[in-house]
Amino acid sequence: MPSDKRFTLYTHKLGPNGWKVSMLLEELGLSNETDVKFLEFDKKEHKQAPHIELNPNGRIPTLVDHGNDDFAVWESDAILLYLVEKYDKDGKFALPDANDKFLQLQWLFFQASGQGPYFGQGNHFLFSHPAVLPTAVKRYQDEAQRVINVLESVLSKQEWLVGGKFGIIDIALFPWHDIALKVLFSPGSYNAEKEAPHVHAWYKRVSERPAIKKVWDE
Amino acid sequence: MSNKPILLYTGRTPNGFPITILLEELKAKYGKDLYDYQAIDISTNTQKEDWFIKINPNGRIPAIIDRARGNFNVFETSAILLYLVQHYDKDLEFGFDPVKEPDDYSEQLQWLFFAHGGIGPMQGQSNHFNRYAPEDIPYAKKRYIDETKRLYGVLEIRLKNRDWLAGPGRGKYSVADIKALPWVRIHAHSGIPTLDEWPNVKAWVERSEARPAFQAGLNVPPA
Repeated sequence: MPSDKRFTLYTHKLGPNGWKVSMLLEELGLSNETDVKFLEFDKKEHKQAPHIELNPNGRIPTLVDHGNDDFAVWESDAILLYLVEKYDKDGKFALPDANDKFLQLQWLFFQASGQGPYFGQGNHFLFSHPAVLPTAVKRYQDEAQRVINVLESVLSKQEWLVGGKFGIIDIALFPWHDIALKVLFSPGSYNAEKEAPHVHAWYKRVSERPAIKKVWDE
Repeated sequence: MSNKPILLYTGRTPNGFPITILLEELKAKYGKDLYDYQAIDISTNTQKEDWFIKINPNGRIPAIIDRARGNFNVFETSAILLYLVQHYDKDLEFGFDPVKEPDDYSEQLQWLFFAHGGIGPMQGQSNHFNRYAPEDIPYAKKRYIDETKRLYGVLEIRLKNRDWLAGPGRGKYSVADIKALPWVRIHAHSGIPTLDEWPNVKAWVERSEARPAFQAGLNVPPA
Protein backbone atom coordinates (compact mmCIF):
# COMPACT_ATOMS: atom_id res chain seq x y z
CA MET A 1 0.00 0.00 0.00
CA PRO A 2 1.69 3.21 -1.10
CA SER A 3 2.49 5.73 1.59
CA ASP A 4 1.35 9.31 1.28
CA LYS A 5 4.52 10.41 3.03
CA ARG A 6 7.82 10.92 1.30
CA PHE A 7 9.71 8.32 3.35
CA THR A 8 9.03 5.00 5.03
CA LEU A 9 11.52 4.15 7.75
CA TYR A 10 11.73 0.57 8.97
CA THR A 11 13.28 0.61 12.40
CA HIS A 12 13.12 -0.79 15.93
CA LYS A 13 12.40 0.80 19.27
CA LEU A 14 15.64 -0.32 20.84
CA GLY A 15 18.01 -0.23 17.90
CA PRO A 16 20.64 2.52 18.19
CA ASN A 17 21.26 2.43 14.47
CA GLY A 18 17.62 3.22 13.77
CA TRP A 19 17.69 6.20 16.12
CA LYS A 20 20.51 7.77 14.10
CA VAL A 21 18.19 8.10 11.14
CA SER A 22 15.25 9.38 13.21
CA MET A 23 17.52 12.03 14.71
CA LEU A 24 18.76 13.23 11.35
CA LEU A 25 15.23 13.34 9.95
CA GLU A 26 14.23 15.51 12.91
CA GLU A 27 17.29 17.76 12.46
CA LEU A 28 16.33 18.18 8.78
CA GLY A 29 12.69 18.87 9.59
CA LEU A 30 11.59 15.72 7.78
CA SER A 31 10.00 13.74 10.63
CA ASN A 32 6.54 14.74 9.48
CA GLU A 33 7.25 13.36 6.05
CA THR A 34 8.24 9.96 7.43
CA ASP A 35 6.05 6.96 8.00
CA VAL A 36 7.85 5.09 10.79
CA LYS A 37 7.35 1.36 11.02
CA PHE A 38 8.71 -0.29 14.15
CA LEU A 39 9.47 -3.90 13.32
CA GLU A 40 9.04 -6.66 15.89
CA PHE A 41 12.17 -8.73 16.03
CA ASP A 42 10.64 -11.61 17.96
CA LYS A 43 8.15 -12.02 15.13
CA LYS A 44 11.14 -11.94 12.73
CA GLU A 45 9.51 -9.13 10.75
CA HIS A 46 12.92 -7.80 9.76
CA LYS A 47 13.74 -11.05 8.00
CA GLN A 48 10.44 -11.31 6.10
CA ALA A 49 8.63 -9.51 3.31
CA PRO A 50 8.16 -6.63 2.84
CA HIS A 51 11.32 -5.63 4.66
CA ILE A 52 13.63 -8.38 3.37
CA GLU A 53 12.72 -7.48 -0.21
CA LEU A 54 13.91 -3.94 0.37
CA ASN A 55 17.04 -4.90 2.31
CA PRO A 56 18.50 -8.35 1.65
CA ASN A 57 20.51 -8.07 4.85
CA GLY A 58 17.31 -7.99 6.91
CA ARG A 59 18.55 -5.46 9.45
CA ILE A 60 17.25 -2.07 10.50
CA PRO A 61 17.23 0.74 9.64
CA THR A 62 16.01 0.75 6.06
CA LEU A 63 14.70 3.93 4.44
CA VAL A 64 12.48 3.96 1.37
CA ASP A 65 12.35 7.23 -0.57
CA HIS A 66 8.98 7.42 -2.32
CA GLY A 67 10.10 10.71 -3.84
CA ASN A 68 12.84 8.81 -5.68
CA ASP A 69 10.94 5.93 -7.22
CA ASP A 70 10.82 3.96 -3.96
CA PHE A 71 14.63 3.76 -3.84
CA ALA A 72 15.61 1.75 -0.77
CA VAL A 73 18.67 2.70 1.30
CA TRP A 74 20.11 0.54 4.07
CA GLU A 75 23.18 0.65 6.33
CA SER A 76 22.50 3.48 8.77
CA ASP A 77 25.51 5.60 7.86
CA ALA A 78 24.75 5.27 4.13
CA ILE A 79 21.23 6.51 4.94
CA LEU A 80 22.64 9.52 6.78
CA LEU A 81 24.83 10.38 3.79
CA TYR A 82 21.91 9.90 1.36
CA LEU A 83 19.62 12.22 3.35
CA VAL A 84 22.23 14.97 3.59
CA GLU A 85 23.11 14.63 -0.10
CA LYS A 86 19.52 15.00 -1.27
CA TYR A 87 17.51 16.73 1.43
CA ASP A 88 19.71 19.19 3.31
CA LYS A 89 18.25 22.27 1.59
CA ASP A 90 19.67 24.72 4.12
CA GLY A 91 23.12 23.22 4.01
CA LYS A 92 23.02 22.56 7.76
CA PHE A 93 25.33 19.59 7.33
CA ALA A 94 27.25 20.84 4.32
CA LEU A 95 31.03 20.55 4.37
CA PRO A 96 32.44 22.99 1.83
CA ASP A 97 36.01 21.82 2.39
CA ALA A 98 36.61 18.68 0.31
CA ASN A 99 39.05 17.35 2.89
CA ASP A 100 36.37 17.60 5.57
CA LYS A 101 34.14 15.36 3.44
CA PHE A 102 36.80 12.68 3.58
CA LEU A 103 37.46 13.21 7.26
CA GLN A 104 33.74 12.70 7.81
CA LEU A 105 33.85 9.47 5.79
CA GLN A 106 36.76 8.20 7.83
CA TRP A 107 34.97 8.77 11.08
CA LEU A 108 31.74 7.26 9.71
CA PHE A 109 33.56 4.09 8.72
CA PHE A 110 35.30 4.07 12.12
CA GLN A 111 31.86 4.26 13.71
CA ALA A 112 30.38 1.61 11.44
CA SER A 113 33.10 -0.96 12.00
CA GLY A 114 34.86 0.01 15.21
CA GLN A 115 32.23 1.49 17.50
CA GLY A 116 28.87 -0.03 16.60
CA PRO A 117 29.81 -3.69 16.08
CA TYR A 118 32.19 -3.85 19.03
CA PHE A 119 29.85 -2.13 21.47
CA GLY A 120 27.11 -4.36 20.06
CA GLN A 121 29.08 -7.55 20.71
CA GLY A 122 29.76 -6.29 24.24
CA ASN A 123 26.02 -5.87 24.75
CA HIS A 124 25.39 -9.29 23.33
CA PHE A 125 27.73 -11.08 25.69
CA LEU A 126 26.47 -9.03 28.64
CA PHE A 127 22.77 -9.44 28.05
CA SER A 128 21.78 -11.84 25.34
CA HIS A 129 23.81 -14.85 26.16
CA PRO A 130 22.57 -17.17 28.92
CA ALA A 131 25.93 -18.25 30.27
CA VAL A 132 28.50 -15.72 31.43
CA LEU A 133 31.63 -15.67 29.28
CA PRO A 134 33.94 -13.28 31.09
CA THR A 135 36.78 -13.24 28.56
CA ALA A 136 34.39 -12.44 25.72
CA VAL A 137 32.76 -9.65 27.75
CA LYS A 138 36.17 -8.27 28.66
CA ARG A 139 37.38 -8.37 25.07
CA TYR A 140 34.56 -6.06 23.98
CA GLN A 141 34.61 -3.83 27.04
CA ASP A 142 38.36 -3.30 26.56
CA GLU A 143 37.87 -2.46 22.91
CA ALA A 144 35.00 -0.08 23.77
CA GLN A 145 37.34 1.73 26.16
CA ARG A 146 39.97 1.95 23.45
CA VAL A 147 37.45 3.42 21.00
CA ILE A 148 36.29 5.99 23.57
CA ASN A 149 39.93 6.88 24.24
CA VAL A 150 40.51 7.45 20.52
CA LEU A 151 37.60 9.91 20.50
CA GLU A 152 38.97 11.55 23.67
CA SER A 153 42.38 11.98 22.06
CA VAL A 154 40.80 14.01 19.27
CA LEU A 155 38.05 15.82 21.19
CA SER A 156 40.51 16.99 23.83
CA LYS A 157 42.06 19.16 21.14
CA GLN A 158 39.02 20.33 19.20
CA GLU A 159 35.36 20.85 19.87
CA TRP A 160 33.92 18.78 17.03
CA LEU A 161 35.30 15.88 15.04
CA VAL A 162 34.66 17.33 11.58
CA GLY A 163 34.24 20.76 10.06
CA GLY A 164 34.22 22.62 13.35
CA LYS A 165 30.49 21.96 13.79
CA PHE A 166 27.84 19.41 14.69
CA GLY A 167 27.49 16.88 11.90
CA ILE A 168 26.17 13.48 10.94
CA ILE A 169 29.17 11.80 12.53
CA ASP A 170 28.02 13.08 15.91
CA ILE A 171 24.55 11.68 15.24
CA ALA A 172 26.09 8.37 14.20
CA LEU A 173 28.23 8.03 17.33
CA PHE A 174 25.67 9.29 19.86
CA PRO A 175 23.22 6.37 20.33
CA TRP A 176 25.93 3.77 20.82
CA HIS A 177 27.86 6.04 23.15
CA ASP A 178 24.75 6.45 25.27
CA ILE A 179 24.55 2.67 25.58
CA ALA A 180 28.22 2.52 26.52
CA LEU A 181 27.67 5.03 29.31
CA LYS A 182 24.61 3.32 30.70
CA VAL A 183 25.09 -0.42 30.43
CA LEU A 184 28.31 -1.54 28.82
CA PHE A 185 30.75 -1.18 31.69
CA SER A 186 30.34 -2.92 35.04
CA PRO A 187 29.89 -0.51 37.93
CA GLY A 188 33.20 0.31 39.52
CA SER A 189 35.19 -0.50 36.40
CA TYR A 190 35.71 2.00 33.60
CA ASN A 191 34.03 5.33 34.24
CA ALA A 192 33.77 6.93 30.84
CA GLU A 193 32.65 10.26 32.26
CA LYS A 194 35.83 10.57 34.31
CA GLU A 195 38.32 8.92 31.98
CA ALA A 196 37.12 10.69 28.84
CA PRO A 197 35.84 14.08 30.01
CA HIS A 198 35.93 15.73 26.59
CA VAL A 199 33.91 12.91 25.11
CA HIS A 200 31.46 13.36 27.97
CA ALA A 201 31.20 17.10 27.28
CA TRP A 202 30.57 16.29 23.62
CA TYR A 203 27.91 13.78 24.60
CA LYS A 204 26.12 16.34 26.77
CA ARG A 205 26.29 18.97 24.02
CA VAL A 206 24.72 16.60 21.51
CA SER A 207 22.04 15.35 23.88
CA GLU A 208 20.89 18.91 24.60
CA ARG A 209 20.11 19.75 20.99
CA PRO A 210 16.34 20.11 20.67
CA ALA A 211 16.02 17.67 17.77
CA ILE A 212 18.13 15.02 19.51
CA LYS A 213 16.33 15.54 22.81
CA LYS A 214 12.96 15.20 21.13
CA VAL A 215 13.78 11.92 19.42
CA TRP A 216 15.75 10.51 22.34
CA ASP A 217 12.96 11.13 24.80
CA GLU A 218 10.51 9.10 22.70
CA MET B 1 62.92 11.58 -2.96
CA SER B 2 59.79 9.93 -4.29
CA ASN B 3 57.49 11.67 -6.72
CA LYS B 4 54.68 9.25 -5.99
CA PRO B 5 51.80 10.95 -4.19
CA ILE B 6 50.64 8.18 -1.86
CA LEU B 7 52.54 6.81 1.11
CA LEU B 8 50.70 3.72 2.32
CA TYR B 9 51.16 2.07 5.70
CA THR B 10 49.88 -1.45 5.41
CA GLY B 11 50.26 -5.15 6.17
CA ARG B 12 49.28 -8.51 4.77
CA THR B 13 45.71 -8.37 6.06
CA PRO B 14 42.25 -8.37 4.44
CA ASN B 15 41.96 -4.67 5.27
CA GLY B 16 45.33 -3.76 3.78
CA PHE B 17 44.85 -5.66 0.52
CA PRO B 18 41.87 -3.63 -0.80
CA ILE B 19 44.14 -0.57 -0.92
CA THR B 20 47.05 -2.28 -2.66
CA ILE B 21 44.62 -3.95 -5.07
CA LEU B 22 42.99 -0.62 -5.99
CA LEU B 23 46.39 1.06 -6.38
CA GLU B 24 47.53 -1.77 -8.67
CA GLU B 25 44.26 -1.54 -10.64
CA LEU B 26 44.79 2.23 -11.04
CA LYS B 27 48.34 1.55 -12.20
CA ALA B 28 47.08 -0.94 -14.79
CA LYS B 29 44.39 1.44 -16.00
CA TYR B 30 46.30 4.75 -16.13
CA GLY B 31 49.90 3.57 -16.35
CA LYS B 32 50.91 5.52 -13.25
CA ASP B 33 52.47 4.01 -10.13
CA LEU B 34 50.95 6.15 -7.40
CA TYR B 35 52.43 4.75 -4.23
CA ASP B 36 55.24 3.88 -1.91
CA TYR B 37 54.42 1.63 0.98
CA GLN B 38 55.78 0.85 4.40
CA ALA B 39 54.98 -2.56 5.82
CA ILE B 40 53.87 -2.36 9.43
CA ASP B 41 54.33 -5.43 11.59
CA ILE B 42 51.15 -5.42 13.63
CA SER B 43 52.36 -8.32 15.75
CA THR B 44 54.80 -5.91 17.42
CA ASN B 45 52.21 -3.13 17.83
CA THR B 46 54.19 -0.67 15.76
CA GLN B 47 50.88 0.89 14.75
CA LYS B 48 50.24 2.00 18.34
CA GLU B 49 53.44 4.04 18.52
CA ASP B 50 53.14 7.82 18.83
CA TRP B 51 54.38 8.60 15.31
CA PHE B 52 51.74 6.39 13.77
CA ILE B 53 48.95 7.63 16.05
CA LYS B 54 49.60 11.09 14.57
CA ILE B 55 48.70 9.67 11.17
CA ASN B 56 45.79 7.56 12.40
CA PRO B 57 44.45 8.20 15.91
CA ASN B 58 42.87 4.77 15.80
CA GLY B 59 46.28 3.10 15.52
CA ARG B 60 45.35 0.54 12.84
CA ILE B 61 46.38 -0.19 9.29
CA PRO B 62 45.85 0.73 6.51
CA ALA B 63 46.45 4.47 6.52
CA ILE B 64 47.72 6.75 3.78
CA ILE B 65 49.38 10.14 3.51
CA ASP B 66 48.74 12.02 0.28
CA ARG B 67 51.90 13.99 -0.29
CA ALA B 68 50.41 15.67 -3.36
CA ARG B 69 47.59 17.16 -1.32
CA GLY B 70 49.39 18.77 1.56
CA ASN B 71 50.08 15.52 3.41
CA PHE B 72 46.39 14.85 3.97
CA ASN B 73 45.96 11.65 6.04
CA VAL B 74 43.22 9.10 5.41
CA PHE B 75 42.37 6.11 7.63
CA GLU B 76 39.64 3.42 7.46
CA THR B 77 39.96 1.14 4.44
CA SER B 78 36.68 2.15 2.81
CA ALA B 79 37.34 5.87 3.22
CA ILE B 80 40.76 5.37 1.59
CA LEU B 81 39.17 3.52 -1.34
CA LEU B 82 36.65 6.31 -1.94
CA TYR B 83 39.38 8.94 -1.57
CA LEU B 84 41.63 7.28 -4.15
CA VAL B 85 38.74 7.00 -6.63
CA GLN B 86 37.81 10.65 -6.09
CA HIS B 87 41.30 12.00 -6.67
CA TYR B 88 43.05 9.45 -8.84
CA ASP B 89 40.41 7.69 -10.94
CA LYS B 90 39.39 10.41 -13.37
CA ASP B 91 37.37 8.08 -15.62
CA LEU B 92 35.59 6.60 -12.57
CA GLU B 93 36.57 3.14 -13.69
CA PHE B 94 36.23 1.78 -10.17
CA GLY B 95 33.56 4.09 -8.77
CA PHE B 96 30.48 6.19 -9.52
CA ASP B 97 29.74 9.89 -9.84
CA PRO B 98 27.76 10.97 -6.76
CA VAL B 99 26.05 13.76 -8.71
CA LYS B 100 25.48 12.15 -12.11
CA GLU B 101 24.87 8.57 -10.88
CA PRO B 102 23.56 9.20 -7.37
CA ASP B 103 21.66 5.95 -6.91
CA ASP B 104 24.52 3.79 -8.18
CA TYR B 105 26.81 5.76 -5.90
CA SER B 106 24.45 5.19 -2.97
CA GLU B 107 24.28 1.45 -3.71
CA GLN B 108 28.05 1.33 -3.83
CA LEU B 109 28.10 3.05 -0.41
CA GLN B 110 25.52 0.65 0.98
CA TRP B 111 27.53 -2.41 -0.02
CA LEU B 112 30.72 -0.73 1.16
CA PHE B 113 29.22 -0.13 4.61
CA PHE B 114 27.82 -3.67 4.58
CA ALA B 115 31.31 -5.04 3.98
CA HIS B 116 32.96 -2.56 6.32
CA GLY B 117 30.53 -2.86 9.22
CA GLY B 118 29.34 -6.44 8.67
CA ILE B 119 31.72 -8.77 6.88
CA GLY B 120 34.98 -7.33 8.20
CA PRO B 121 34.13 -7.16 11.90
CA MET B 122 32.05 -10.34 12.05
CA GLN B 123 34.42 -12.53 10.05
CA GLY B 124 37.20 -10.89 12.05
CA GLN B 125 35.58 -11.99 15.30
CA SER B 126 35.31 -15.49 13.82
CA ASN B 127 39.04 -15.38 13.14
CA HIS B 128 39.68 -14.23 16.69
CA PHE B 129 37.68 -16.89 18.49
CA ASN B 130 38.58 -19.71 16.12
CA ARG B 131 42.27 -19.02 15.86
CA TYR B 132 43.67 -16.47 18.25
CA ALA B 133 41.66 -16.35 21.46
CA PRO B 134 43.49 -17.72 24.50
CA GLU B 135 40.32 -19.44 25.73
CA ASP B 136 38.18 -21.92 23.79
CA ILE B 137 34.62 -20.58 23.72
CA PRO B 138 32.45 -22.78 21.48
CA TYR B 139 29.47 -20.41 21.68
CA ALA B 140 31.51 -17.47 20.36
CA LYS B 141 33.13 -19.53 17.63
CA LYS B 142 29.74 -20.68 16.39
CA ARG B 143 28.14 -17.24 16.71
CA TYR B 144 30.61 -15.59 14.38
CA ILE B 145 30.90 -18.42 11.87
CA ASP B 146 27.10 -18.47 11.62
CA GLU B 147 26.94 -14.70 11.15
CA THR B 148 29.67 -14.81 8.50
CA LYS B 149 27.70 -17.49 6.66
CA ARG B 150 24.58 -15.35 6.89
CA LEU B 151 26.47 -12.42 5.38
CA TYR B 152 27.72 -14.62 2.53
CA GLY B 153 24.07 -15.55 1.97
CA VAL B 154 23.24 -11.87 1.53
CA LEU B 155 26.02 -11.51 -1.06
CA GLU B 156 24.63 -14.60 -2.78
CA ILE B 157 21.23 -12.92 -3.19
CA ARG B 158 22.81 -9.75 -4.59
CA LEU B 159 25.09 -11.59 -7.00
CA LYS B 160 22.29 -13.56 -8.66
CA ASN B 161 22.34 -12.44 -12.30
CA ARG B 162 25.10 -9.97 -11.48
CA ASP B 163 28.85 -10.04 -11.86
CA TRP B 164 29.59 -7.27 -9.34
CA LEU B 165 27.91 -5.71 -6.33
CA ALA B 166 27.17 -2.19 -7.60
CA GLY B 167 26.30 -0.59 -10.90
CA PRO B 168 23.52 -1.02 -13.44
CA GLY B 169 22.71 -4.28 -15.19
CA ARG B 170 25.16 -6.98 -14.24
CA GLY B 171 27.19 -4.39 -12.37
CA LYS B 172 30.67 -2.97 -12.59
CA TYR B 173 33.82 -3.95 -10.70
CA SER B 174 34.14 -1.22 -8.09
CA VAL B 175 35.52 -0.40 -4.68
CA ALA B 176 32.52 -2.16 -3.12
CA ASP B 177 33.81 -5.47 -4.52
CA ILE B 178 37.45 -4.63 -3.79
CA LYS B 179 36.62 -4.01 -0.12
CA ALA B 180 34.72 -7.27 0.40
CA LEU B 181 36.72 -9.74 -1.70
CA PRO B 182 39.91 -10.01 0.39
CA TRP B 183 37.74 -11.05 3.35
CA VAL B 184 35.48 -13.46 1.50
CA ARG B 185 38.37 -15.19 -0.26
CA ILE B 186 39.93 -16.20 3.09
CA HIS B 187 36.78 -17.98 4.23
CA ALA B 188 38.73 -21.17 4.93
CA HIS B 189 40.97 -19.33 7.39
CA SER B 190 37.83 -18.18 9.21
CA GLY B 191 36.25 -21.60 9.65
CA ILE B 192 34.24 -21.92 6.42
CA PRO B 193 36.04 -24.55 4.30
CA THR B 194 34.33 -23.99 0.93
CA LEU B 195 32.08 -21.50 -0.85
CA ASP B 196 30.10 -24.31 -2.52
CA GLU B 197 26.98 -23.32 -0.59
CA TRP B 198 27.07 -19.89 -2.31
CA PRO B 199 27.81 -20.50 -6.02
CA ASN B 200 27.31 -16.86 -7.10
CA VAL B 201 29.75 -15.72 -4.41
CA LYS B 202 32.22 -18.42 -5.42
CA ALA B 203 32.07 -17.31 -9.06
CA TRP B 204 32.52 -13.67 -8.01
CA VAL B 205 35.65 -14.50 -6.03
CA GLU B 206 37.07 -16.50 -8.96
CA ARG B 207 36.26 -13.65 -11.34
CA SER B 208 38.25 -11.22 -9.21
CA GLU B 209 41.20 -13.59 -8.80
CA ALA B 210 41.53 -13.78 -12.58
CA ARG B 211 42.47 -10.08 -12.67
CA PRO B 212 46.26 -9.56 -12.80
CA ALA B 213 46.08 -6.32 -10.80
CA PHE B 214 44.04 -8.07 -8.11
CA GLN B 215 46.77 -10.69 -7.79
CA ALA B 216 49.46 -8.02 -7.84
CA GLY B 217 47.74 -6.20 -4.95
CA LEU B 218 47.62 -9.42 -2.91
CA ASN B 219 51.38 -9.55 -3.11
CA VAL B 220 52.04 -6.18 -1.48
CA PRO B 221 53.75 -6.37 0.93
CA PRO B 222 55.25 -9.63 -0.31
CA ALA B 223 54.97 -12.70 1.88
